[in-house]
Amino acid sequence: MSIIMRRIFLCIIGMIAGLAAWPFAETTLLFQPDFPSYLIFSIFLGVIFGFVMGGFFGTSDGVIMSVKRSVFSGSIHGALIGIIGGAVGFIIGQAALFIAGNILIQSAREFNTVGFPVSRAVGWAFLGVFIGMVDGIRSRSFDKIKVGIIGGILGGFLGGLALEYSRLVVNNVMFARVAGLIIFGLFIGLLYGFVESRLSFGVLRLLNGKYKGKEFLVNQRKIKIGSSVKNTIVLSGYDKISDTHAELKVKGDTVVIKKNSPKTVISVNDDKVEEHQLIMDDVIQIGSAKFLYKFK
Amino acid sequence: MKKKCLLFCLFIILIPGYIFADHVRISQIDSSGLLLSQEVKLYVSVTSDFGKPVTGLNADKFSIYESSDNKNFKKVSSISGFDVMANYESGINFLLLIDNSGSMYQTLSGKRPGRDEDMRISHAKRALVIFLKSVSNPKDKIGLAAYNTNYTSYSELTNDRVKIQGYLDEIVRPGKGERYSEIYSSVYLAVEEFRSVKGRKAIIVLSDGRNQPYFQYTKKPHDVFGEKIFKYSEPMEYCQLEGISVYAINFGPKREKKDKGLSTIAYQTGGTVFDAHDQNQLKEVYNKIVNQILNEYLITYEATMEPADKKFVKIDYETPSGVLSAVRFYFSSTVFGNPMKDFNFLLILPLLLAIALLWLLTKLKFENKHTNPSLEVLNAGSAKASTNFFTLDKSKKTVIGGDPGADMTLSGGATKIKEKHATVAFDAKNKGYTIVADGNLTVNNKPVKTKLLEPGDVINVGGTTIVFDDGEFD
Repeated sequence: MSIIMRRIFLCIIGMIAGLAAWPFAETTLLFQPDFPSYLIFSIFLGVIFGFVMGGFFGTSDGVIMSVKRSVFSGSIHGALIGIIGGAVGFIIGQAALFIAGNILIQSAREFNTVGFPVSRAVGWAFLGVFIGMVDGIRSRSFDKIKVGIIGGILGGFLGGLALEYSRLVVNNVMFARVAGLIIFGLFIGLLYGFVESRLSFGVLRLLNGKYKGKEFLVNQRKIKIGSSVKNTIVLSGYDKISDTHAELKVKGDTVVIKKNSPKTVISVNDDKVEEHQLIMDDVIQIGSAKFLYKFK
Repeated sequence: MKKKCLLFCLFIILIPGYIFADHVRISQIDSSGLLLSQEVKLYVSVTSDFGKPVTGLNADKFSIYESSDNKNFKKVSSISGFDVMANYESGINFLLLIDNSGSMYQTLSGKRPGRDEDMRISHAKRALVIFLKSVSNPKDKIGLAAYNTNYTSYSELTNDRVKIQGYLDEIVRPGKGERYSEIYSSVYLAVEEFRSVKGRKAIIVLSDGRNQPYFQYTKKPHDVFGEKIFKYSEPMEYCQLEGISVYAINFGPKREKKDKGLSTIAYQTGGTVFDAHDQNQLKEVYNKIVNQILNEYLITYEATMEPADKKFVKIDYETPSGVLSAVRFYFSSTVFGNPMKDFNFLLILPLLLAIALLWLLTKLKFENKHTNPSLEVLNAGSAKASTNFFTLDKSKKTVIGGDPGADMTLSGGATKIKEKHATVAFDAKNKGYTIVADGNLTVNNKPVKTKLLEPGDVINVGGTTIVFDDGEFD
């Protein structure tokens, strides 16, 4: 799967996540008067919303890499992190909304068409941050968390604005919210994919075999490559590849590939290497698989 | 005598009720504790005749209600806090709004002045200096604006009294078309400017008390308002909504009728009217205002959870003659907004659809099928390739080069490419394809003349990147 396809998949999964979260959110809203306070209501709504959104978003790496085990583990991790992220995100989002709303309701002339959607979008932006961070926390990668924060805040804000304006366009609250949530998920996926690509250190493109043409973003400081599903880049269907065969490390602005153990063999430009600092257009061989290291 | 008594009775009956009645206002609403403690704080001002604060009240006199539609109010469970003198710590924000119309350049008695210091504007400026000197709380902030035909802002809110005094000198005699005194529209614009400021707010209007709308007097449309003529009720209601009190200092001739509208605005917003002829009263302006504001009641209550984008709060104040009410609102919207009316079982459908779509996505395999050996252009660089994908044939030689008749033609590149730059042919002995170079080329970034190609080998011909694949895998 190319980087473009990866971005498209992130968008699709984002939209599916929004679609799935909607019924839960809608049902919780019905019980708002029964909650004792805005704080508990926000936490509960955040937990439910984060659980579903995180659970669906968490599957993205597994779906994109076609690794079933990663789909399930990603979903569970995503849901668990989503619970915390959703709760924190909703509290901060609600606080931001109250603050922005109270300021704008006093000062903005066009409160309904400008102040209100902007206030809400600020709340959504904070929510987006925590949803976007799910994958980074799951893979314990600071770089991915950074991607999630930027992608989430932009996606959340733009998605939130889209959601609020769809509410103004579509009179039916129900359809407006479902459309808005799908757009929210789409924007998180879109912006996540965009920021992920912008902040990555290049792309590894598979040149042969079963998954020829598949591209892997170097988007975290440490990437393990091997035949086991525990690795970041899983190479199944290729010969002479160990469980964990090689490791990519980002040091400053440079990317280094090295053998994971003395027994494994890796080549760069047909030369066997222990450790090698990659430059663009380097051809890397791991077992029978060949990669081209190229610009993002 | 009978006639006088009758006139007095008529006066009592006909005089507007609001002038001699108590007023209750929610001058400020603080919902900053809504999320963490569910608390809302109301600053409530109760004033009697001519804006005198009513003191010594207790919580029993008040009831609080909330509504999501400003119609159906629900009583809140309890008042959790009741304090007085709540505003001193945060200070008061004053906006000084000075009349700079043509009439302000006459004497107090309405005559042509012999000296500048006899003009009403000079009196007004002196009054402001007295006021500025009497501001004793360093947390108080003051802003300055003036009006005639137009409204002009001179200074934003500041603690710097000297700075404000300096701005007074910038207020100069208006031009010909600017001499009208648009009081009501100017107070309205002052509220517009002032409303976003947090905390307790008061507008002090120094005026000779005559509202002269530009359009009404000239029959020409105003630059900003066009043909609209503001009624006194418009700025009054705006002040009430925003919790801003108006205090008027009158510079008109003693016997001249004062502008009833401005007085009404002052009384109805919890302010009062001062007479500029009385120097002692002028000196007391600040103290009176502060006294009134400091005597506000701070009432804390637990907010309801009814969904609403903005929630209306109504306070009822019991007086011997009846119940007085005041309404304001605060922002109470949640991130998701308001719920739909009823639960709908159709809600389950999107969830099922989402699960089904995700399941479908997991079924997608981006695997390649076995194919024939091929050459694929990954990056043409500056050249143009006649084909991006070429299937190799065991029985034929494949030529890569600049010749239009080549199997893979690369043309227009920055680096010169020979007509037959390289040839790829099947080598039966090695059971694989071999590349033979006529010009310069690299395979896997190494210059080669001939090489048995392996799947995934990257051939670079004059900047064009081509990948060889044998199409075989397990």
